[in-house]
Amino acid sequence: MSRPETRVRQLLIAAKKLADPRHPLGERLRRELPALTGLSAEGVEYALQHSFEVNASSAEVLELCQSVPQIDRAHVLLSANVFVAGLRAVALGLAASPKVFVRSSRREPLVVRLLEEASKGAFRVVDELVPLPGDHLWAYGSDDTLKSLRGELPAGVVLHPHGSGFGVAVYQVDAARLSPQAAAEALARDVGVFDQRGCLSPRLLVVQGPVELASELARRLARELSAFEARIPRGALSALEAADVTVYRDTMAYAGELHFAGKGCVGLDTRGERLMLAPVGRHMHVVHTANAPELLRGLEKDIAALGVDVSEELQRRLVQVLPKARVSGFGQMQRPRFDGPVDRRPARDGVPL
Amino acid sequence: MSPDEARTAREPDDLLSESEALHERVRGFARASLGGTQGDERFEDLALEIAQYQARRIPGYARLVESRGVLLERFDSIVAVPTDVFRLTRVAAHAGEHDVASFHTSGTTAALSGKHHFRTLKTYEELSLAFGRRALTSVFGGQRVVVALAPPPSQAPHSSLGHMLSLFMNRWDGRALSVAPRGAVYDPESSGRWLGGSGGIDLEGLRRAALVALERQEPLLVLATSFALVAMLDGLAGALVPAPKRTIVMYTGGFKGRSREVKPEELRCEIARVFRIPEVQVMGEYGMTELTSQLYEATLPGGDLSAPKGVYLEPPWLRVIPVDPVSLKPVRFGEVGLAKIVDLGNVDSAVAILTQDLVRRVAIGQIEPGDEEPGRSLESGVELLGRRKGSPVRGCSLSFESWIVGAREGVA
Repeated sequence: MSRPETRVRQLLIAAKKLADPRHPLGERLRRELPALTGLSAEGVEYALQHSFEVNASSAEVLELCQSVPQIDRAHVLLSANVFVAGLRAVALGLAASPKVFVRSSRREPLVVRLLEEASKGAFRVVDELVPLPGDHLWAYGSDDTLKSLRGELPAGVVLHPHGSGFGVAVYQVDAARLSPQAAAEALARDVGVFDQRGCLSPRLLVVQGPVELASELARRLARELSAFEARIPRGALSALEAADVTVYRDTMAYAGELHFAGKGCVGLDTRGERLMLAPVGRHMHVVHTANAPELLRGLEKDIAALGVDVSEELQRRLVQVLPKARVSGFGQMQRPRFDGPVDRRPARDGVPL
Repeated sequence: MSPDEARTAREPDDLLSESEALHERVRGFARASLGGTQGDERFEDLALEIAQYQARRIPGYARLVESRGVLLERFDSIVAVPTDVFRLTRVAAHAGEHDVASFHTSGTTAALSGKHHFRTLKTYEELSLAFGRRALTSVFGGQRVVVALAPPPSQAPHSSLGHMLSLFMNRWDGRALSVAPRGAVYDPESSGRWLGGSGGIDLEGLRRAALVALERQEPLLVLATSFALVAMLDGLAGALVPAPKRTIVMYTGGFKGRSREVKPEELRCEIARVFRIPEVQVMGEYGMTELTSQLYEATLPGGDLSAPKGVYLEPPWLRVIPVDPVSLKPVRFGEVGLAKIVDLGNVDSAVAILTQDLVRRVAIGQIEPGDEEPGRSLESGVELLGRRKGSPVRGCSLSFESWIVGAREGVA
């Protein structure tokens, strides 16, 4: 029986074929993904080049393998995730077991189908998962989906649920390493990938400092998002997503500052010390505060990623409040280490992963 | 105090006189329209003037109008204020020192509640009474017993619904709740007529009030939220409440997680069974903290208003315009859209609001060719189709709706 690390390594080698624009599988992926994901062709390419985790180090692969138990059979249920998520999800399955069954998202079945083909059947894509007692199931989806799934599983199946979430960026005005301009450039990249539909995508920027500097950062971020869009056009939003944008845009135009950012926008809550969330589609809600950890306290179930440009002391306090969030610098929020599940939060309905 | 609030705090005296003049015109419009005359005012013109006044006086509204790139020159160009704005900032042309009342939206303690500030309640009270009277008292005339399945106003001082119920109770009843009320003192906070509270519904109090109405041979008007009525049904466990045949039950609002959810038709049927009245005597009301005016079902035959079950009628000074959720342009007659509500009563706040409620205009009578103008027909009402759901996630990011309703205050 092959070793877990070997199985994962072989999967990553297969994934490199998809990442290669000259490989037939890579060509097909680029041809078909825009329609399936709603991303622009440039957005697909950007995500493949920057967030498709094919170059994981040996240490990362080892950590990933150690993050899961060794079991007879593993099941992976994918649903409505960003398109690169399938790779890590299947890798977790292969790290746990040589027998991996995957049900892909109905909306975007392509990536795992092509991974199956490229890996020459290292795992099986199935229409229906039939987990048995003792099997483990890694399930990705909305909170409602996971809740109903939990009720349907046979006793003895171990569920690893990964629900929805979002990223938060925190900038400490008097301790940041990056200038406001550099911070805005880096954050624009984090926001732009996947058109902000990932659970690591930042949708809230907390500025610990005065409102004037929050306003400056909001303006610069809006400009950088426009510049990013000029290079990597935003894809189409669904009608419902677009309706969310309309509400947010008009709300912030009235209640704060609104900065248009290409097709998106940046909203600043000038009053500060309270939370809201920007809609997906390359938007950012900016709020200023005197105490970022206190503002974010109690949100450990919602926040999957924390981008920071803060002092060590403030980072320590933020991690205390959000102990399971992935922590990275600005510009790195969409490139988490390949060391285990991307989402380390407790399940939103309270059951530990 | 936010920069916007500081600016309105320096308001000149002419703001108040301009506001007062608009209020008087709105009340005049309401009287004329209910009196069957058009008067000198057109709804569209008055709405536009109020919107222009608000754009001049409220910096936030001016910013919204500017961001939408409109000039506020036509009724169609009036920009609606999303109801979320009421939770994030003050929506008022006047400074807080001139508030005579502030009504708050209900919500969890963690979420921000919306606040609607009033410089005067004169217009609110006149409009609410005028249309409420048409909807609820035009069939069974004379004096009546009015009770509410709600806590007394002193326990919910910022509830716009509580204020309206209190208004109805005082004006349409206003007597002690006894078989021989003459000479007895009327207590507007009487626990005998405010029958809801943290302890549930006072079923014995309801029975007593119904008995008083029976003995006086007067109609009974029961005012309630939907969840209070469900609590009443659960408490009664199938039992009936002997009540006058001329009992009317007005229900309003959703369930807000405070009771089990019951479909409107089932709720109506069960309430009618409990009071042994025809279902047409159970009528819905639609109001919001962010509005001044209310809409009603009008199912009672012979009343001033008439519409089938499930169809809500606007007063002449309010208009519901279903709009496309993205473009915010009116949809065609009969299509589902978000409710953009133009309420002339909102002189000092937002004459047009954008809700997240889905609505559809439906014809009540025969529609003549040419009446199918977007968003409006002469003989039509509004169907309420529930709250718009936020976009389902296409990635693994949290849905916008999950959070915009959860906006909360931090602890600095």
